Amino acid sequence: MKAAILMVVAVVVVAGCAKDTTRYGDARSVETMTNQFGSTDLQMMAESMARSMLQAPIIASSNLPVVTVQEVRNKTSEYIDTRAITDSIRSELQKGGRVRFAVDQAGMNPQVEELKRQQGGLYAKDTAAEMGQMVGAQYRLEGNIISIVKQVKDAKDVYYKLNLQLWNIRNGLLEWSDEKEIRKTTTRG
Amino acid sequence: MTRQLLLPAVVCAALAAGCSTKKGFEKPGYAFGCPIGETKVSSMDDLVRAKVVAEGRRTTIQPTELRCSQTGELLRIDANLNNDSKTVKRIAYKFRWIDREGMRAWDEESWKPLMLHENSNLVINTISPTSKAADFRLILRSEE
Repeated sequence: MKAAILMVVAVVVVAGCAKDTTRYGDARSVETMTNQFGSTDLQMMAESMARSMLQAPIIASSNLPVVTVQEVRNKTSEYIDTRAITDSIRSELQKGGRVRFAVDQAGMNPQVEELKRQQGGLYAKDTAAEMGQMVGAQYRLEGNIISIVKQVKDAKDVYYKLNLQLWNIRNGLLEWSDEKEIRKTTTRG
Repeated sequence: MTRQLLLPAVVCAALAAGCSTKKGFEKPGYAFGCPIGETKVSSMDDLVRAKVVAEGRRTTIQPTELRCSQTGELLRIDANLNNDSKTVKRIAYKFRWIDREGMRAWDEESWKPLMLHENSNLVINTISPTSKAADFRLILRSEE
């Protein structure tokens, strides 16, 4: 009995002394901690869509078309920051220097606030941004992400599909559309 | 008489040699549409050896074919990956983009996981993210 108590005390002491270890990892490695939407899914979707969009005739042939990013609707059963997907796509396209982006709905308030602030009489007229000079977008990017989840006793299968569309704002034509599919299966044991 | 026969024979031999090259009519510094610089590439195997790099855990999956084409200012690449084993193989791949000076033309891409069924081929394709990318490497690793 005494020996058992001593054993338990020893285990508790050892567990108490165990140190947490923190290390930096590779942000771009394949992440398979769970089968929920993860960093690898985000990176793959963003890269695949950005590269596909680069091949769209309207992007390839135009002289720096102006695009505004609208919502990617999350139709999955889990929380996904869809803004992170469009932000990554936007960064890749912007960095490639083939597309320009106009301020989107989410950024409109801060943009107008800043314009008003500069017109408020505090700034020198020749350096203050003028009202009515913003550039309107020629195209708008929007889309959906859906998921189909199937679960049985020891296995869970998740299928994601991101669909993006680039619409011509002036004439309402769909100029480009593409999809990226991802399937992940988790099995127990 | 001998000279008369010799000339057509030389012409035929030159034509045959010209046609036997796998590269066909290509710009200097390119093989199968892919940029090769000064590297000597006389077959698809040479091209695969020059462009494919293994990092991390080695995989038995190897590209059997690499083809490139220029789309405007961008480089389009098709790589045919072959799994000739009797089991499913899981790998990850990424492309590395290199500019004319041999420097990195783009940030390191993310690893993209891929599953290859047994006895199957899978074509992965991509396009260079920027017109600065003049060359590339295909990086493979095992995810088993």
